[in-house]
Amino acid sequence: MYFKAKVDKEKCNGCKICILSCPEPNAIKFDPSSKKIEIYESRCKACKICVVICPKQAIELEEK
Amino acid sequence: MSKRITEMCPALNDAMPTEYRELVENGPWLGDKTVKDLGTFKELLEEHPLCAGCNLALSLKIILSSLPNPADTIIVGSTGCSSLGFMQVGIHNIHSLFGNQNAVATGVKRVLSMRFPDKKKDVVVMAGDGATADIGLDMTIHSWFRGEKITTIMFDNELYANTGGQESGMTPAGRVAYMAPLGKKFPKINLFEIAKTSGCHYAVLLTTANTVRLGACVKKAILLARDVGPTYVQIHTPCPTNLKIPPEESIKVAKDSEKERYAFNEYVSEAAKSFLENTGNKK
Ligand SMILES: Cc1ncc(C[n+]2csc(CCOP(=O)(O)OP(=O)(O)O)c2C)c(N)n1
Ligand code: SF4
Ligand code: SF4
Ligand SMILES: [Mg+2]
Repeated sequence: MYFKAKVDKEKCNGCKICILSCPEPNAIKFDPSSKKIEIYESRCKACKICVVICPKQAIELEEK
Repeated sequence: MSKRITEMCPALNDAMPTEYRELVENGPWLGDKTVKDLGTFKELLEEHPLCAGCNLALSLKIILSSLPNPADTIIVGSTGCSSLGFMQVGIHNIHSLFGNQNAVATGVKRVLSMRFPDKKKDVVVMAGDGATADIGLDMTIHSWFRGEKITTIMFDNELYANTGGQESGMTPAGRVAYMAPLGKKFPKINLFEIAKTSGCHYAVLLTTANTVRLGACVKKAILLARDVGPTYVQIHTPCPTNLKIPPEESIKVAKDSEKERYAFNEYVSEAAKSFLENTGNKK
């Protein structure tokens, strides 16, 4: 079973704390136009750091 | 500080992978990026084999996005978990024998100053606690005594992670590890204090819990090493694998350590202070 992080764009307020805490390079990107983050599944190791650090509870792990 | 070094050879244009192209076109080459810009440029680090939730990997990523002059930076690494990350780093880096990193960096820095007297070349050592404070301790401290203009960064996961969890001099007293079942018998080495009295012009003690501050301190340490003298950055990078904790708890471990042995501490020598004042770079 493999997991990946998934963002709920309704909840994300674009604070970027997840990007600043994710140990994987280029795994989370910021879209300046929508001011939301985007998670690149293939680069995510499902460590859950972003899940626990997000102040809006906008990220969850889901099965790949 | 130019992008020329990274320009793609036209003949290879079609053959290079997307990741490489992104790095050339959108990498942090001009050194004007900070941690706050992460997510908007292609990082100098690619997919690496370090464990899920590894705080050493996190700090490596933060350091690489905080370099003041990436195209003219040479990293000297050493044996340990971090060496598995350097293969995925997009700038010059040298792997040195376990413990030799500050001696190798000294040679690199001196030769670069002779070969390129008009250019600013930053030499940055990045190594584990075992490499820096145990086997490489004499090389580390003597490079400070000699006033070598290099930055030494320690990834302190408080044990030998790569070889399965032996205690290091930086392990706190009493800590039990996979291969140190009786617990550490003597206190953690205070390399921060030693750095202050051994010739470092800047020394800082911090953790992965505040990556914006980490990035700013790394930038400052490299700029000071360039013009003033040796600098030292010691980062607490908890290792979830050896601490036997879920990876998502690792940042909390770093944060909690700020209440005791890893309270933020920054030393700036008089010479470094006046340099920062004169260059308007106080922060
Ligand atoms: C000269 C030499 N001695 C011993 C080793 C075995 N060795 C490899 S990694 C390591 C420990 C590394 O510990 P540290 O520097 O703290 O890095 P970490 O893996 O914890 O990041 C040791 C003892 C080696 N590779 N070379
Ligand atoms: S789960 Fe871990 S690796 Fe995946 S995006 Fe979140 S912080 Fe990054
Ligand atoms: S063993 Fe620890 S330090 Fe090494 S890669 Fe894994 S989490 Fe990182
Ligand atoms: Mg270590």
